[in-house]
Amino acid sequence: MAISFLLGFGVYAVSPPPPTSALQHPPSPLSLSHTNRVTEMEEAQYEIDLGNLTAFDQHHQFASPPTSREEIVKETIEQATKLVQAVADALFNLPSTEDPDGPLVKLPPPTAKFPREKPLPKPRPPTQWEVFAQQKGIQKRKKEKMAYDEQTGTWKRLHGYDRVNDDNDIPIIDAKATDEPGTDPFAERRKEKKSRVDKQEGNRLKNLKNAQKAGALPSHIQLAATALPITGTQSQPKKVSKDVLQNVAGMAATATASGGKFDKKLPGEKPLKHEKKYRKYLPAVEGSGMGTIEKQQTENVLNRLMSKHSHQILNVEKAVNMYNVKREKHQRRQGGQSSNSGKFKANKKSFKKTSNKGHSSSSKGKSK
Amino acid sequence: MRPLDENETVAVFNKLHKFVGNNLKNIVLESQAHEGPETNPGRYCFRMQKNRVYYVSESLVKRATNVKRDKLVSLGTQIGKFTKSGKFHLTVQCLNLLAANAKHKVWLKPTSETKFLYGHSLKKDGVGRITEGIQVNNGVVVFSMSDVPLGFGDAAKSTVDYRKMDPNGIVVHHHADIGEYLRMEDDL
Repeated sequence: MAISFLLGFGVYAVSPPPPTSALQHPPSPLSLSHTNRVTEMEEAQYEIDLGNLTAFDQHHQFASPPTSREEIVKETIEQATKLVQAVADALFNLPSTEDPDGPLVKLPPPTAKFPREKPLPKPRPPTQWEVFAQQKGIQKRKKEKMAYDEQTGTWKRLHGYDRVNDDNDIPIIDAKATDEPGTDPFAERRKEKKSRVDKQEGNRLKNLKNAQKAGALPSHIQLAATALPITGTQSQPKKVSKDVLQNVAGMAATATASGGKFDKKLPGEKPLKHEKKYRKYLPAVEGSGMGTIEKQQTENVLNRLMSKHSHQILNVEKAVNMYNVKREKHQRRQGGQSSNSGKFKANKKSFKKTSNKGHSSSSKGKSK
Repeated sequence: MRPLDENETVAVFNKLHKFVGNNLKNIVLESQAHEGPETNPGRYCFRMQKNRVYYVSESLVKRATNVKRDKLVSLGTQIGKFTKSGKFHLTVQCLNLLAANAKHKVWLKPTSETKFLYGHSLKKDGVGRITEGIQVNNGVVVFSMSDVPLGFGDAAKSTVDYRKMDPNGIVVHHHADIGEYLRMEDDL
């Protein structure tokens, strides 16, 4: 069992040495099977990593299995003091510079090896060019820095400002037999260059896609690609479902100043459906004034109203009154023609309409 | 300007029926309008502009469409207003229309004319004549003794009860009168 003891000191400055009483005399070992010489050798073989201020004891063994917790503690503290002493000795052996606070020592770089934090990078699949070069047996050649420019007769750099064979510097292009009159050779050259550049860009992206499929994207591109997950455990984001897409598309379509009403529709796009109800009124003027629907509507309402109040149309009492009066008149006329009995002459007094409704006026007519 | 929809028409006709009864037919269906250049007399119709209901002849409606909607103030005769909660009230401008077709009339004595024109309700001792057959809450048109229409209102008592009433009781609740043209010029 290896015991290591880490001192919690700063890296470059050394605090005052630990209390001397515990360390100057190394305590006697507990295990009696080891002789002093063996222990000294083992002490000399402590692995001391001054960069991390640590000491490792590889060969430590408990002589007998410890019986209690206190025994373990005691043994550990004893061994640890030895290790700390070793570290202190090594520190003091380093060349030191004088400082008002005490001797200052620069620690060497640490030697302890730590396990990898991140997994090993996966091997990149060969790019299109690499495959082709391998196939054809093309070797990589070191490029020269300068090239001789025929036109100006000077040495110019290969790429960048003031370069060899720049397209803009060509004054005259000789016409070939295949050229049509009317075509601009400079424009042609520019177009070709552009197509070459685009093709190369496409190839670059294809290579990157292949690398991403193999899981070997270079880290700066992995960080820049926001659509791709960064950690290895995260999976690709799920594709959105149909109704979610429809919702979003609807929101996007209506997110214009006029609610998407006047936008041109793509073929197959359904017209927008609006949530609210549009109230429809009859037109203000139809034909020469009132439209038929409006006339019907007013007539309907009127008829309904009339039928509701139809019981009030006829004033029954008034009708009865009028009927009785008519009868009276008729009888009086008849009575006057047929006979001149004084009996009926007294009736002339009662021509006036009385306010007593409901009573039969025939009785009145007969009274004297 | 727009025509009334069905609920609004019902409200307007109900209110009018209170005052004119079956003569509503005359107002709505058989009215003759000789206003336009057309030889045939047109009819009258109801239009709504900004919650006010107007009684307009057809030819006038047609010509009023030439005015911009927000610039159109009034057309024909205003008969009433719709309130914010959708209730319909008759205003004084329809007095002539009502007076011509009224079923129930009340004639005022000259002494109490001014009181009514100031907006007070009608008391029994101000009443000169009253038509028969008025029931409670019937619409009543108020005239002066010289048959000048002064306003309209609600009957508080039926004719029968009116005769038994004490002189200080209210006979007609005031709704509108021609004094409003001076008093409430801005509100009309």
